[in-house]
Amino acid sequence: MIRFRSLSRAAPALVALAASPAFAQLAQRPFMVGGGEGGGGASGGLTGWIMEMQSQLTRLIAADVHALHGDPTAIWGLIGFGFAYGVFHAAGPGHGKAVIASYMMASDRALRRGIVLSFLAAMLQGLVAVALVGVAALIFNATAPEMNAAADWLALASCSGVIAIGLWLTVTKGRALLAALRTHFARRAALAAAPVYANAPWRPAAGSGAVVAFRAGPPDGVAAAAADDPAACGHLHAPDPAALEAGFSWRGAAATVLAAGSRPCSGAILVLVFALAQGLFAAGIGAVFAMSFGVALTTGALAFAAVFAKRLAMRMATGDDSRIMLAARGVEFLAALLVVAFGLALLFVAGSGA
Amino acid sequence: MNSASPARRPALALLLAALLAFAPAVAAAHPHVWVTVRSKVGFADGKVVSVTHDWVFDEMYSSFATQGLAKPGQLVTRDIFAPLARENAGGLAELGYFTTLKIGGKTAEFGPVKDGDYWMEERTDHLVAFHVDLRLKTPTAPGPYFSLLVADPEYFIDFEFDDNDPVALVSAPSGCSASIAKPKPLEGQDQQKLTESFFTNLAPGTNFGFKMASRVIVACP
Repeated sequence: MIRFRSLSRAAPALVALAASPAFAQLAQRPFMVGGGEGGGGASGGLTGWIMEMQSQLTRLIAADVHALHGDPTAIWGLIGFGFAYGVFHAAGPGHGKAVIASYMMASDRALRRGIVLSFLAAMLQGLVAVALVGVAALIFNATAPEMNAAADWLALASCSGVIAIGLWLTVTKGRALLAALRTHFARRAALAAAPVYANAPWRPAAGSGAVVAFRAGPPDGVAAAAADDPAACGHLHAPDPAALEAGFSWRGAAATVLAAGSRPCSGAILVLVFALAQGLFAAGIGAVFAMSFGVALTTGALAFAAVFAKRLAMRMATGDDSRIMLAARGVEFLAALLVVAFGLALLFVAGSGA
Repeated sequence: MNSASPARRPALALLLAALLAFAPAVAAAHPHVWVTVRSKVGFADGKVVSVTHDWVFDEMYSSFATQGLAKPGQLVTRDIFAPLARENAGGLAELGYFTTLKIGGKTAEFGPVKDGDYWMEERTDHLVAFHVDLRLKTPTAPGPYFSLLVADPEYFIDFEFDDNDPVALVSAPSGCSASIAKPKPLEGQDQQKLTESFFTNLAPGTNFGFKMASRVIVACP
């Protein structure tokens, strides 16, 4: 298991990185809430409206928690507002949604799996927040700085995990890309030496023989399938889906869910602590899982978009199979690099309070 | 035969599809902490010498900050809050106290804050208040007008001046008056920054909170 050995080797280096001054700043930011989540915002237009919704929803959630003291039906409002908050909130920075989307882009084409992954990551995020506040505040009566420290450690673990997954994806996808490149150029070389019309009398017979050999047994089997298909005149035919989909593993997916979901969200921590202070921790848990459902909806939509985008790209790619494979592998490789970039960005910009 | 273009085309399609799919979801992150600001601008001998802030936090952050600090039913006193207040004051010092005082086009500098210049406490309504006294390094003549801005550039904290009592002028020369200027609407470039912040998963960058902030304008004709 080379990939897990390299993962464990990368982890201490990442921990060392995170101990650097950039990350240490996180603790010094005044009035911080753990989870390493960013601010950001706008006042005008659609973005401003969504942000205003966020602020309003926060107030509505707080008001509903208060209302629960006298009116148990306020729980429905709480759950509804929590859900809406999650939908909007997941669209903001720092929610692992880009990680999931990029992961999907890099390794999968199955919609259902993408949605399941988004869902699991969001639920895990809710669960982590509940566990954190439940254990730290409810059992150990921890203070805000102590909870921040715990949340920051989780955030660090999450960032490191994302980077590790990104690196692993980069290696596997890089290898696949190289293989696709090799196939592509081998095929081009063979075609150049003796194109399809090789049997025409003016072509040298030796080259013709090479091409026949090549077409009879191409390295990846895809070109063979296409060559055998009479309708496939060398353009616009879909490659074998199974070949395109190579690379999905539940183990990798589980690692992604774990990495993307292990970072509790600051908003959830705030809601939980507030509910706890009101003596309504259970209602807080309800609100947080409603938020998780909302987050899952948005990240699921993004995973859907990622898969859809990849399919669309594949459909638009014209040319022979080796070229489509090349495009697919190229896209996957870029997506893998993106996962690394997201992880690094989260890690380092966490230092400036984002 | 151009071998690069077919590979480039799906990449483009991909980008387009992603943009289309992501566009409606380009929401900014939003502040997590809300602060109501009341400020006092102090004068001496006709010059601006100090800015005193009284910040009140929203109830969610307040319950977060007070968590685990006092026995149930008791308020968190300034004494109990002292370590957290010191930590926050230290962080604030590095960020210029989120306070931009511009007099005659120049940003005034504040001297270091000592223990006793700041405190934090839980009010009887359970909201947390933070108080800090900032003294200008050099007392400065107000000129015809100057501005005071309180903002977290990264917009994790949303500072809003109190509706009824945003700013008081203490010992100001006669004729000085304060008014609130609301933020300008965002420009196209700012929207783009937000979009980028979505894709990079990061805060939209420095100075964003400034664009969102209300400004106090003090005129001393």
